[in-house]
Amino acid sequence: MELLRHTQDAFGQRMLVGINWDILWLPVAAAAAFIVLHLVIRTLRRRAG
Amino acid sequence: MTTPVRQQGVRHRLADRLFHWGMAVTVIVLGATAFLPILGIRFDWVPLHWTFGVLLTVLVLYHLVRVMLVHGVSEMIPGPDDIREIGYAAGGGAPKGLSEAKYDVFQKGFHLAAAICVLTLLATGLLMLAKIDTTFWNRNPAIFTDQTWGVIYVLHGTGALALLFLFILHVYFALLPEHRDFLLAMIHGKGPEKARKGSNA
Repeated sequence: MELLRHTQDAFGQRMLVGINWDILWLPVAAAAAFIVLHLVIRTLRRRAG
Repeated sequence: MTTPVRQQGVRHRLADRLFHWGMAVTVIVLGATAFLPILGIRFDWVPLHWTFGVLLTVLVLYHLVRVMLVHGVSEMIPGPDDIREIGYAAGGGAPKGLSEAKYDVFQKGFHLAAAICVLTLLATGLLMLAKIDTTFWNRNPAIFTDQTWGVIYVLHGTGALALLFLFILHVYFALLPEHRDFLLAMIHGKGPEKARKGSNA
């Protein structure tokens, strides 16, 4: 999966145009994973007293 | 022994609460106008996006003025006790010997990360204004090379994704029952004056 998007300019050279928006799910998934991990640790610590 | 802490003073003054909620609204509008078109919801998002970007810039400048003239930066600068607080949190033990502080290390960390993201977004976003025609100026994309524009777009996009991550976590932590007092303090002002209670045990 490419993190960046490129195009070709008028001379055929590779040109950076921005990040690849196909990774838009990544911060959402990372935040979800962080929240789940936090909830698990929070629950375990509460049970431990 | 826990240092006595006044629990129900004014934590956030009205001017700071207005900034917070003003920033919240602008960030939500900016996020919606940035991400909804990517998700396939088509509308004329550019005018709304740059207008709210300029509005957020004004809000951040207002915040910086209040920081310089009213609050100072010391409450938000991480110190040795913040490092030790991370150690206590990771170990699950009760913090000992930490000084009291209005913001704990996690609040400071979030603020620092959000500040880096927002300032990156604003700096790159303001440069991007050169690419659109408005009532006030005509577009002039020739101020940078295509390669430089590419870097600016990458920084803007990366900042947007990082801020999305931080935004989700911010809402999650704000809604936790144990943080209810902090959420209420951001609504009506009164709440715990110190997020980190001092202890000298």
